[in-house]
Amino acid sequence: MADAESDLLRSSLDLLVLKALTWGPMHGYAISEWIEGATADTLLVEEGTLYPALHRMERHGWITAEWGVSENNRRAKFYKLSTAGRARFRAQAPVWHRHAEAIAVALRRTSLEFR
Amino acid sequence: MGLSPGWRRVFRLPFRTARSLARDVDEELAFHIAMREEKLRRLGMTDDRARTDALARFGDRDRVRDECITIDRRYAREVRLMEWLESIMSDFGYGLRTLRNRPAFTIVAALTLALGIGATSAIFSLVDGILLRPLPYPRPQELVQFRQSYPEKGLDDWTLSQENLAMYRDGAHDFQSFAGFNSRGVTLEVNGTPERINAARVTADFFTVLGVPPLIGRAFTREEDTRSNNAFVVLSYGFWQSHFAGDRGVIGKTLDFDGQPTRVLGVMPPQFAYPRPDVQAFLPVGLDPTRRFGWFLTGVARLRPGVTVEQARRETTALMWNWARREPDALSMTVDPARTRMKTLVTPLRTAITGDVARPLAVLQAAVLVILLIAVANVATLMSSRASGRRREMALRTALGATSGRIVRQVLTESVALASLGGVLGIALAFLLVRAFTHSGAESLPRIGEVSVSWRVLTFTFVVSIGSGLLFGLSPALHSLKRRITDGLSGQNESARGAARRLNSTLVVAQLGLSVMLLVSAGLVLKSFRHLLNVDLGFDPTGVTAVLMPLPHQRYMDNRKIVAITSQAVERVRGIPGVRAAAAAFPMPYSGGVNTDGYLIEGHAPPAIAGSETQTVQVQVTPGFFGVLGIPLLYGRDVNASDRDSSIKVVVVDDVLASRYWKGADAIGKRMRMTGDTTWLTIIGVVGSVRDEDVASEPRPHTYFPFSQVPANRPTLAVRTTGDPSNVVTAIRKTIAELEPGVPLDNIRPLSESISRALDNRRLTEILLVAFALLAMTLAAIGIYGVMSLYVSHRHREFGIRLAVGAEPGNLVRLVFAEGMTLAIGGVVIGVAGALLGTRWVRTLLYEVSPTDPVVYASLAALLLAVAFASCYLPARRAAKSDPLIALRAE
Repeated sequence: MADAESDLLRSSLDLLVLKALTWGPMHGYAISEWIEGATADTLLVEEGTLYPALHRMERHGWITAEWGVSENNRRAKFYKLSTAGRARFRAQAPVWHRHAEAIAVALRRTSLEFR
Repeated sequence: MGLSPGWRRVFRLPFRTARSLARDVDEELAFHIAMREEKLRRLGMTDDRARTDALARFGDRDRVRDECITIDRRYAREVRLMEWLESIMSDFGYGLRTLRNRPAFTIVAALTLALGIGATSAIFSLVDGILLRPLPYPRPQELVQFRQSYPEKGLDDWTLSQENLAMYRDGAHDFQSFAGFNSRGVTLEVNGTPERINAARVTADFFTVLGVPPLIGRAFTREEDTRSNNAFVVLSYGFWQSHFAGDRGVIGKTLDFDGQPTRVLGVMPPQFAYPRPDVQAFLPVGLDPTRRFGWFLTGVARLRPGVTVEQARRETTALMWNWARREPDALSMTVDPARTRMKTLVTPLRTAITGDVARPLAVLQAAVLVILLIAVANVATLMSSRASGRRREMALRTALGATSGRIVRQVLTESVALASLGGVLGIALAFLLVRAFTHSGAESLPRIGEVSVSWRVLTFTFVVSIGSGLLFGLSPALHSLKRRITDGLSGQNESARGAARRLNSTLVVAQLGLSVMLLVSAGLVLKSFRHLLNVDLGFDPTGVTAVLMPLPHQRYMDNRKIVAITSQAVERVRGIPGVRAAAAAFPMPYSGGVNTDGYLIEGHAPPAIAGSETQTVQVQVTPGFFGVLGIPLLYGRDVNASDRDSSIKVVVVDDVLASRYWKGADAIGKRMRMTGDTTWLTIIGVVGSVRDEDVASEPRPHTYFPFSQVPANRPTLAVRTTGDPSNVVTAIRKTIAELEPGVPLDNIRPLSESISRALDNRRLTEILLVAFALLAMTLAAIGIYGVMSLYVSHRHREFGIRLAVGAEPGNLVRLVFAEGMTLAIGGVVIGVAGALLGTRWVRTLLYEVSPTDPVVYASLAALLLAVAFASCYLPARRAAKSDPLIALRAE
């Protein structure tokens, strides 16, 4: 995977995690389910890639982790949005929108010109 | 106190081991896969299929696991670091607060440390600037000083002639460049007003050797440093500033030096301070490579890269022998290389400049390190007595869950806070002391202008203060560990207290021992110095003022004119009211150097090796000189007006010379001659011996010539006055100015001051060493006071009960004194033993005092015991006043 693509994916994944956690504390599996549902399985090709992202975000202080009990009574690690994470989401979401739009516009224009 | 709960709340993360981190990650990933598997099964897959599918969808499980663990580990490390920093800061703040709550303790401890650190840093600054720092010239390790040694003639350290200089410069291959110089005063005449300035006569290669070109203009070339062409000058920066206000237009101007119009070629940079910092002008030697006589140059040279001092010495010594064989009449001797001890002296320039002060500085540095040790020991004692006062606080903290490591750290942090305080004060003190050194009477120290409190010294101070903080904090910290919770809370812990006291007692004995060593060393140096001040010089300098009268070269080429003006000047000065006696001589004692030559006695066979004659110091005197200085005339007569150029050549010798050959008055009428001259001189008188070069060295043989028969153009008047000489000095100036306006009178100073200056470095060492010794003693007294106070407060209850059941207060007082004096005697015994071993090291600083001088040892040991006794007084009195009620209430 090229670096640029990985960065793009990583930051979009972070943003999606933050978005998922706005619904409330979730464990990793629930987050992956939400992301798969919301993106129609396009982003999380390998579910495992979610976990390094979660741990990294915890280190940044955007999310906090705590062990708890899952819906089927198993021990699970729950992630929760911190104040810093909420601020991060509010700041990053519009940036993403702008970038995505700009990229979309650019890609459309280029493809027209090539045609 | 343990872990501050704040951080755990913020991070929701307990301390985790590496293994528990991995376990958590495994569990988290396993949970995900299990959940996925379950869902796939619910969607109708078989167990096997669901398992494989779930794993496949998850991706590379091992890589994910590793990544997660790496991130978590880093994170855990960060959290730990932040917690640690936070608690250190809180300890530091707590330390400062507790220090503030105990101002008396803090002030005593911080000042003690500040004195130790300040004195150490100041002396270290001196050592650094003078001994350690490289000379401020490019590739300074290549620079050497060059002189000759000719022990057979008594010339152990001897200068170069111009012929010698040219010979080494052109003949030796081990040098890149070779120059010579000598320092001397010259007369600068500006608008008819003569002024004496300090000049150096240097050969053209001088600036090349040192590798420092002039700041503006240029240096002179070899063509501008010859016998016939040498009227050029390079000015010092200071002189350029003071006389020309830094005007660049001075280059090319003509100045009048010693009556000769001299063109200014350049100005040296400000930091240039060789051969001496006070040189104001550099003039060419006017080198005549064929000039054989007149040994006045000191060589300074730059070795070729890779050439050692020893190689250069061998090569040049061979050159010297060849020359002496080739030119036997130059030295009036024949050289037998197999037997001669003649050699060249090649010394690294730094050693040559600072050699004299290296030992005193090393001794002073050792002394300040001892002070520092005592100060640290002292603060450790104070800290530990305080720690025992805080038993309850510590016990309470332990009870509330603080770990022992945590408590040790807190005590250490507090010590470091205290040490930092002492360090800051110490640095301030160091700046003050160094300023005092560089701005005051220490200008006789070489390189003093380069001394400053540098970053090296500051680093040193920083390390010392933090290190000392850890050091003196360690004992009370460790010792707080030993205590059990219950002991502290109930106030019962005699065994731990005993341990604390034993440690403190050891420290006090060590302090006292070190102080004794320092006191004894200082005492020996002090006694030496008193000896030096009381040395019988053979003459009486008090009340004698010396006035240098440099006659202008151009007008006084003729000996008769020199003799005439000198005797006129003496006559007129004698007539000034307030002058009791006056005469002239060349050179005056302690005016910086004497002339010597070998001598032969008529009727005594010359020595087997020609040239190995005994040397005599030569002085030219006018009639009455012996009377003015109070040198006793033992036999015969003084020189007088009848000794003229045309009359029979006569000489007065001193006791040292006469007694080698004759008894009493037998010397009178005998004849002698100088090895460089064939004229026989008749001895007309014998005078007492004098020490006119160095107070500490034995008198050498002297010969005194009548000034009228052997004149010199730089006579010095010796004027004995009644009362304050400053009243007379103005009159002397006026009288000489009337007689010869072109003579700039200079170096007008009491003879006793010149002698005193010769002792400046010794005096500085003495003053500092005595100050350090007194400081050490004071600190040791504080130490013993602290320990005894602690002793009394620990046994307060016991003393109170004893008093209550009828003990005499006097018995308690005796008990305290006995305890204190036991420590003191222990310290003194150790100190005396240490001093007996250690003072051999200061032997070179001593003069006519044995390093084991019993009087010094006994009196200083007694002094220290007396001080210790006095320090026990207050604690003893407190013991006698122990109140049983208060003591029991403390239960």
